[in-house]
Amino acid sequence: MLPFASSGSKVTPRHHVSGYSNGYPRGNTFEFSPHRFQPRGTAPSSRRQRRQLVRIGAVIAACIFLLLLFRSGFSLFSIFSFGILSSGDGFQLETVRYYDLSNVQGTARGWEREERILLCVPLRDAEPHLAMFFGHLHNFTYPHHLIDLAFLVSDSKDRTLEVLVENLEAIQADPDETQHYGEISIIEKDFGQKVNQDVESRHGFAAQASRRKLMAQARNWLLSAALRPYHSWVYWRDVDVETAPFTILEDLMRHNKDVIVPNVWRPLPDWLGGEQPYDLNSWQESETALALADTLDEDAVIVEGYAEYATWRPHLAYLRDPYGDPDMEMEIDGVGGVSILAKAKVFRYGVHFPAFSFEKHAETEGFGKMARRMDFSVVGLPHYTIWHLYEPSVDDIKHMEQMEQEKLVREQEEKEKAEKARKMKESFGDASSQWEKDKTEMQNIALQEKKKEAAKQATKEQSDKQGGEAPKRAAKDEKKGEKDIRR
Amino acid sequence: MARPLGPVRLKKTSPLTLVFGAGLCIFILYFLLGSSAPEFSASRKASAASHPLSPPTSAFRQSTSGAKTGPPPVLRYNLNNVTITNTPVKNRESVLILTPMARFYQGYWDNLLKLSYPHELITLGFILPKTKEGNAAYAELDKQITKTQKFGPEKDRFRSIIILRQDFDPPIPSQDEAERHKMQNQKPRRAAMAKARNSLLFTTLGPSTSWVLWLDADVIETPPTLIQDLAFHNKPVITPNCFQRYYNAEKKRMDERPYDFNNWQDSPTAQKMAAQMSPDDILLEGYQDMATYRALMAYMYEEGGDIHYEVPLDGVGGTALLVKADVHRDGAMFPPFSFYHLIETEGFAKMARRLGWHAAGLPNYKVYHYNE
Repeated sequence: MLPFASSGSKVTPRHHVSGYSNGYPRGNTFEFSPHRFQPRGTAPSSRRQRRQLVRIGAVIAACIFLLLLFRSGFSLFSIFSFGILSSGDGFQLETVRYYDLSNVQGTARGWEREERILLCVPLRDAEPHLAMFFGHLHNFTYPHHLIDLAFLVSDSKDRTLEVLVENLEAIQADPDETQHYGEISIIEKDFGQKVNQDVESRHGFAAQASRRKLMAQARNWLLSAALRPYHSWVYWRDVDVETAPFTILEDLMRHNKDVIVPNVWRPLPDWLGGEQPYDLNSWQESETALALADTLDEDAVIVEGYAEYATWRPHLAYLRDPYGDPDMEMEIDGVGGVSILAKAKVFRYGVHFPAFSFEKHAETEGFGKMARRMDFSVVGLPHYTIWHLYEPSVDDIKHMEQMEQEKLVREQEEKEKAEKARKMKESFGDASSQWEKDKTEMQNIALQEKKKEAAKQATKEQSDKQGGEAPKRAAKDEKKGEKDIRR
Repeated sequence: MARPLGPVRLKKTSPLTLVFGAGLCIFILYFLLGSSAPEFSASRKASAASHPLSPPTSAFRQSTSGAKTGPPPVLRYNLNNVTITNTPVKNRESVLILTPMARFYQGYWDNLLKLSYPHELITLGFILPKTKEGNAAYAELDKQITKTQKFGPEKDRFRSIIILRQDFDPPIPSQDEAERHKMQNQKPRRAAMAKARNSLLFTTLGPSTSWVLWLDADVIETPPTLIQDLAFHNKPVITPNCFQRYYNAEKKRMDERPYDFNNWQDSPTAQKMAAQMSPDDILLEGYQDMATYRALMAYMYEEGGDIHYEVPLDGVGGTALLVKADVHRDGAMFPPFSFYHLIETEGFAKMARRLGWHAAGLPNYKVYHYNE
């Protein structure tokens, strides 16, 4: 039972219809008490003076304000926009940038710490490989907005640049925002390379030293134009990688090494054995190679994978076990350039791709050497493999041509065989028709003989009509002649 | 007893309150207006990058409307068109002035402002250690930058300024002159210096720079036409002669003496010494116990000589050094290790030479170092 609902209760109900809703009696609430002080109608002269002063002060203040406004040339617009839209077009020019490099050291779980990666791709006459490369780009699992792309297009005669720009613009215009990449720069620079890019001239021994030096120069130009103070990692990737895990960036990053490379193999046609180690530039230094280096002159460059320099170095590529632990690491001294993940600080501290003979090596191998010289960790993963595109060499092409020839010969033989069979069949068919023909002929003969007998009887009866048949024969011969002319 | 409900009666306002209020209003309005961006000319606006993710050698458009910016655009930089000529002003070539800074000197900044090369073509890059001293230097530097870039006249404002904080500790805590120049301290000190220089260089170079001017934070006096004069020689690497003004107690007047001994021409003695060293040891210049007999540019100065007189050099110092950006792009850096028994700037000259770029010096063209 509620207390205020009972009529006999002594508690005053609070929600009463008429009366003390706020504790005061109602009515006449807004009236001033007649007993209060009433101000005089006119102010005393002292207060009027003071008011005058206030007015003058306000006018002076307004004047000062307008003067400030005028002198500094600010627009009134910003008063209404509260200075937020200050320059009118929605942006202001920022000229000072501040970066603390200790925030971009690179850690094992960079994607959680929003660490930015610079992805560097050197390109030359690479149009045919671009479609494949953009497939990989599409599939990277590392957050795309944390990856900045940098391409160097040099001395290209095909449509590399156009195709590249089209594809990149398509990515940035993708309705799916997770596909968008960070900063994208395309560096164009021609070095006037004399060496051809076809497989044979690329891998010929004599051309190697100068080719590697030019490649190194190109890589350095790309890096120096694209590296920013906010990068924690730099990833070098060749455009002609055919198969690689989508998670390769995270996989390599997890090892938290200064420089790390996977194993690079390539698939081969069945007649060549199915697969083959591709990148022989990742190796451990050997005593033989060091001794060899001492005998060479200052500008000589040792290139790996050629019989001319037998270095007896353990190669990352040959140590692969398809069923081995993909996380196994191996210390290396020279690195291959197909896929290198390095902390940006390695490049910041000055390690680069020597375009001269550095400890008798150039480009990526020299890079590995220089990184070791500056006490950075350089490792390879022997059982973590990515697959390079198979481009047949001239020998392979010759072999394939030979195989093609053989195939053609074989086909020819088969064709001849088939022809023979057909002919045999045909000749058999002729015989049977001949038989038919003969049969009909014999029948005809039999018929004719019958007719002859009949005719003999007829001639006996109509010997006087023979003279009339001769002109008919002549007419038939004329018609035959016409047909011959047409032919 | 409580008074009945009614309009709250306005208290008599004192004129003091009104004046105070008006003052406050003006104050607020002034800062509302004052907070707007400094105005830049159309050419500067046009050359600014449209996204914060951009080469730091350009200013960038910072969105103020809070609107979500789209993904960065695809940008093409044709480095075939970046010219490096002996008439840089005419060809509007970009200059990057790089300074590793441990202490801030007002003289350095004032001298920088006096440079007659068009400031809208100059980008400044600084790297400071994360020490107490570095923080102090940064605070002073930042004050000067704000003064120039925000409130200074437009012709004084530089195109962009990059400030980096080092990610490693300096090997010797003290920046004192005596401590800095101790021989056993030289290798770690100069290796750290080389790392700082490389960090600064490779993160700021970008795709549009034509020239890189290395200028030490303690260089307080140069001719205002320094960049034009050095570029006029069209050398891949060129350095003026660095001197120091001091009070000569014997002569009882101000005098000057050579300061930078890292500009030299090699000598057979030095070559022989290097040949006998272990691979990690370095040759140093200007120390009694290591007499190299190299020809030092510091002593080649001739009173009243032609300021454009040029000598070839094998080693260079870093106090003031103008380098074509292509030299650095090819990979010439400051080795933080013994490179042909040379380190830092001297090693840089050697590495540039290995890449086919030769250094030169101007013995009669003087710049001045701060005197502690």
